[in-house]
Amino acid sequence: MGKEAVDSSITLCRSCDLVIRKRALPTGVRAICPRCHTSLYDTPYCSINGMLALCLTAIFFFAPANLFPVLELEFLGSVRTTTVIEGALSVYHQGYWLVGIAVLTSAVIAPGLLLLSILMQILIVKYGLSSPSLKTVLKHALKTQGVLTQLTMLEIFVISFLVAAFNLADFATVSFGFGTFCFTMLFVMTLFLMREYDLEHMWSYLDER
Amino acid sequence: MSDNQPIILGKDIGLTSCPTCHKVTCAKSTHCSRCDAPLTVRDYSSVQKSWALLITATILLIPANIYPISTLTNQGRVTQDTIFSGIAHLVKTDMIPIAIILFVASILVPILKIVGLTIYLSAISFKLPISKKKLMTGFHIIEWIGRWSMLDLFVISLTVAVVNMGQLLDAKPAPAATAFALVILLTQLAAKVIDTRLLWDRLEAKDDSSTNA
Repeated sequence: MGKEAVDSSITLCRSCDLVIRKRALPTGVRAICPRCHTSLYDTPYCSINGMLALCLTAIFFFAPANLFPVLELEFLGSVRTTTVIEGALSVYHQGYWLVGIAVLTSAVIAPGLLLLSILMQILIVKYGLSSPSLKTVLKHALKTQGVLTQLTMLEIFVISFLVAAFNLADFATVSFGFGTFCFTMLFVMTLFLMREYDLEHMWSYLDER
Repeated sequence: MSDNQPIILGKDIGLTSCPTCHKVTCAKSTHCSRCDAPLTVRDYSSVQKSWALLITATILLIPANIYPISTLTNQGRVTQDTIFSGIAHLVKTDMIPIAIILFVASILVPILKIVGLTIYLSAISFKLPISKKKLMTGFHIIEWIGRWSMLDLFVISLTVAVVNMGQLLDAKPAPAATAFALVILLTQLAAKVIDTRLLWDRLEAKDDSSTNA
């Protein structure tokens, strides 16, 4: 009943509720639930400075990825270009607002918020853990982290450039723009950042002190 | 499981893990001590919510496949493509790899996701004796692959933005696009709301005993 201090060496599988005794793991090894094979935890280590570097690089690519055209089409002498945002807005203006919002959210808004949120989390962990109000900010950022990660679909968008280009090559001359390069780089940086990022570890900063 | 350890669950020893931050806390408390999210030992209403979302998605899958998803005007001639006819057109023009990608993302994944979730929810609701391990593997695959259905919508948005030359060459989205977007949204939510711990509780008596013995 009054078991306030929970044994920290025990964890519960979030998918099947099995009690699991935590063990120290070597780097790059992930613990998996023996009953339902859900991944539980890996080495509780992530380099904050490495993440900061990746996060800043990704943010650096974010603006050109969204401002420069990602696809250019030439048909009978006239040229059309589009950015990711214009693509979403053109569907929106055709009356398919749900599709437009879905595209805009998963390709622009969610990645942008995700990167800003991670940058903020890193800065708070590095410099602001002593302040209680910043800790509250960190808590709310970590709570939305799961949703933002799920909504970020950069990898799918990169593939969609290729599919769209092949589709249109039937009628017209298609080429990629500078934005395509930046968008792909944004995707790669975010991919590596998310491999480094460990939500369990970020939560543990709130336990200390 | 190779070793014959007795299965101890968190609810047996009065502990529960927070659905938001996965911190292990005493099951008596109503909110997580670390992130203030409400705690539930088991969320029984999640099965109902998931069924509701799944059934709506199944109904919407019909208009998404019957109605055209894009309209193309090529030198005055208007053609409307459904998801399937678009892929068939790609096969005809010998772009098999792209056709396969689109087929998997827009037809196979949504159907597999709906069938898979139906089996999964039936196993919980009607206590079907299906191997829990297989169901859970399927569930992890569904969770991971489900988002790839967005591919078709991204392609449409890029195409619509870049192909707009009036009567000469013009692409527009068509009604199935909204239905398809809703199918993706609802199936993703259906997979997200469900409390997977219920599956492992309810089938405790039957199943994997056969694999252990």
